Amino acid sequence: MRKMYDASEAKKVAAQRALDPTDQEMIEKTIEDGVETAWDRLENQQPQCGFGQLGVCCNRCTMGPCRIEPFGSKPDRGVCGANADLIVARNMLDDLSTGAAAHSDHGREVLEVLLETAEGKSQGYQILGEEKLATLAGEYSIETEGREKEAIAEELARAMLEEFGTLKNSIQLAERAPEKTRGLWKAAGIYPRSVDREIVESMHRIHMGVGADYTNILLHGMRTSLSDGWGGSMMATDASDILFGTPTPVTSWANLGVLSKDQVNVVMHGHNPVLSEMIVKAVEDPELKKYAEEQGAKGINLVGMCCTGNELLMRHGIPIAGNMLDQELAIATGAVEVMVIDYQCIFPSITHTAACYHTKVIATSEKSKVQGAIYKEFHPETGLDTAKEIVRLAIDNFPNRNPDRVKIPAKPIKMMAGFSEEAIKGALGGSYKPLIDAIVAGSIKGVVGIVGCNNPKIKHDYGHVTLAKELIKRNILVVETGCAAIASGKAGLLLPEAADMAGDGLKSVCNALGIPPVLHMGSCVDCSRILVLAAHIADELGVGIEDLPLGGAAPEWYSQKAVSIGTYFVSSGVYTVLGIPPKIFGSPNVVELLTVTLKDVVNASFAVEPDPVKAADLLETEIERKRTALGI
Amino acid sequence: MKTVFVRPERCIGCRHCEVACAIEHAENKNLFDAISEDPVSKPRIHVEVGIHYLTFPNRCRHCDPAPCMQVCPTEALYRDTETGSVAVDYAKCIGCAVCAMACPFGIIQFDKVFQLDTSREVNAKCDNCIERQKEGLIPACVEACKTGALEFGDANELIRVSRKDFTMRMIKSEGTDVEVPKIPANIQAYRTIMKEIAKTCE
Repeated sequence: MRKMYDASEAKKVAAQRALDPTDQEMIEKTIEDGVETAWDRLENQQPQCGFGQLGVCCNRCTMGPCRIEPFGSKPDRGVCGANADLIVARNMLDDLSTGAAAHSDHGREVLEVLLETAEGKSQGYQILGEEKLATLAGEYSIETEGREKEAIAEELARAMLEEFGTLKNSIQLAERAPEKTRGLWKAAGIYPRSVDREIVESMHRIHMGVGADYTNILLHGMRTSLSDGWGGSMMATDASDILFGTPTPVTSWANLGVLSKDQVNVVMHGHNPVLSEMIVKAVEDPELKKYAEEQGAKGINLVGMCCTGNELLMRHGIPIAGNMLDQELAIATGAVEVMVIDYQCIFPSITHTAACYHTKVIATSEKSKVQGAIYKEFHPETGLDTAKEIVRLAIDNFPNRNPDRVKIPAKPIKMMAGFSEEAIKGALGGSYKPLIDAIVAGSIKGVVGIVGCNNPKIKHDYGHVTLAKELIKRNILVVETGCAAIASGKAGLLLPEAADMAGDGLKSVCNALGIPPVLHMGSCVDCSRILVLAAHIADELGVGIEDLPLGGAAPEWYSQKAVSIGTYFVSSGVYTVLGIPPKIFGSPNVVELLTVTLKDVVNASFAVEPDPVKAADLLETEIERKRTALGI
Repeated sequence: MKTVFVRPERCIGCRHCEVACAIEHAENKNLFDAISEDPVSKPRIHVEVGIHYLTFPNRCRHCDPAPCMQVCPTEALYRDTETGSVAVDYAKCIGCAVCAMACPFGIIQFDKVFQLDTSREVNAKCDNCIERQKEGLIPACVEACKTGALEFGDANELIRVSRKDFTMRMIKSEGTDVEVPKIPANIQAYRTIMKEIAKTCE
């Protein structure tokens, strides 16, 4: 525990905790103000239990809790008889299913808003993504000829919602995967059958006395992850595109410097943008604008945080204040009137942090209530009214800001976002041929998706930014989502000028197309855009995704959602390097299965490597392996 | 001489020993009552992180002669002759902390204890589970340790095991059968990864 404030010590601590200078500045302020952050809590948690870290702790039933002695002595089995392999596999399936459920339930909620909009019941929403609507209508064999877009959307929303519990034994969107890749899934028995079914079945399988074969349990984990990546997450992406439009390249700003000194600051934090989209509309209300001025503010400044922020950035160029570990730092600026939260990755202590300043936290989801927050429940029928109420609350709170306690980092960084799969294809001139030609010629060696969270165990953004820089230097194009993309934004990598940091081959391609060497593809459910991108390239070449010189990485992951994403990457044929070890090291057999044996099943596996330079080596080696196999 | 021997390479930081210690030194010696006692019982063994997420369970070594006993002005610290443990007469302790200054291992803690009616904080260090030992039981921390990081027994015998292992490694190749089990490859791999992670924050 730190006792007295020592400015030079605080500076040193901040430099150990974060890479970005603006983040460091705010970490110093949290120490000066005595505000507890995730870094402090990690310190207070030391040492963390080794049984849990190794995945050999089982707390499922009341014969336990049990744990396996990891050095090879007794106890080597839980009371039920489960050994380390089974306990690790069950724990991993549990984590993975939690993650898949989070993405998929988010997807369901966007589809519900789409349905209500199509039925004319929602307030403020429109169908803006007509092209996406037409594409999906085609995939779902929905008649479009001579029909109103609302009628098409209604039928489509129902068809997609039906996928959650479908009886037809396969998910429609999984057909977007190349035939060869789908063949591997069928051969391994991991073709996703429905969204909810796989998650429910996971819960069944981890019950005592169901599965005792760790391989079989983890195969179901792969199937569940596919029902997320090619199901729930993909539906979240597509339904959002239909409602709010498919993103196109856009320029904006990143880091905590996007907060305004003289405007009302509203931070929109979480993952599902359905309400925040209405807040973007609400701030255009002349009455609210006038009210802000009356309260002494020079306007209303909307900024994003985490993946709700990414969604708004992708479609509207709303500046992004930061990623997961920035949520407390944003409040510590003392300049945030309101933090609107929907769900996922919101620290349960966020209201505790807000209580140190004038900030009000507004919870908006019935699924995600937080003690100490003001609760404004979101309903599609009253979306715009609720959004206006929230903005009004923020303005009400502006006079409570104490200027003596405000400190906002000076300079946001310019960045580009909006690279949906469609936008990348557009930037390439409407076809993947230029990209494929560059890959065949070797000017671009391959493509790596860097995704995932922040984790205070790794210096904030260090893993993401170092790996991205290392890969582009080696002529590997980087596509990003989630916290990783925000990290790159803060580090200036999401600009065409950043091509100067890339190897000659990648640099020339970026310069010719006017694109950054690191492309921001969206939120974490938008990892599904990476899958679609990979599928289209594979289709053009007539191969499977597993044949392509691709890689994935989650250098700073923390969440169960990342377990699902990593697994659907690998299951789809993309070798994936994790910067934080998953809770599997208590079982050498599970480690062997996930890092070696899977290559025989889906031609891809996991690896664990926290050092970003060594991770780049691993990814490059894998890309070379696949290039050689393709004969390029 | 009996002692609690620590094999730090086997400590995985689970803190089972801390919980078992706190329960053993509570008025009601069971978890569910112990957590609601006032004063609440605190662990007398401390699992702390050194560097790179590696841990060491630190507890009283029950030295003989014991520096803490030698400096205690009120003779609150005394030796239990039957078990050879250094124990505290809480009523005599004046909380001067001189014992803590003399302790080479930094394991003395001042806390409220249920044995005293007053709210004074006294030297509430490890008593080597004298009561348990007299019932023929091993100290609670050792019993709780599932990884063999804490072992209770004759000091020379425990040292002999380590010595013999070293001898075996000297005369045979590494990987030969040894009495202190080798650290498995998966645990080694995990520790290497955690060390790399820790280095990003240095």
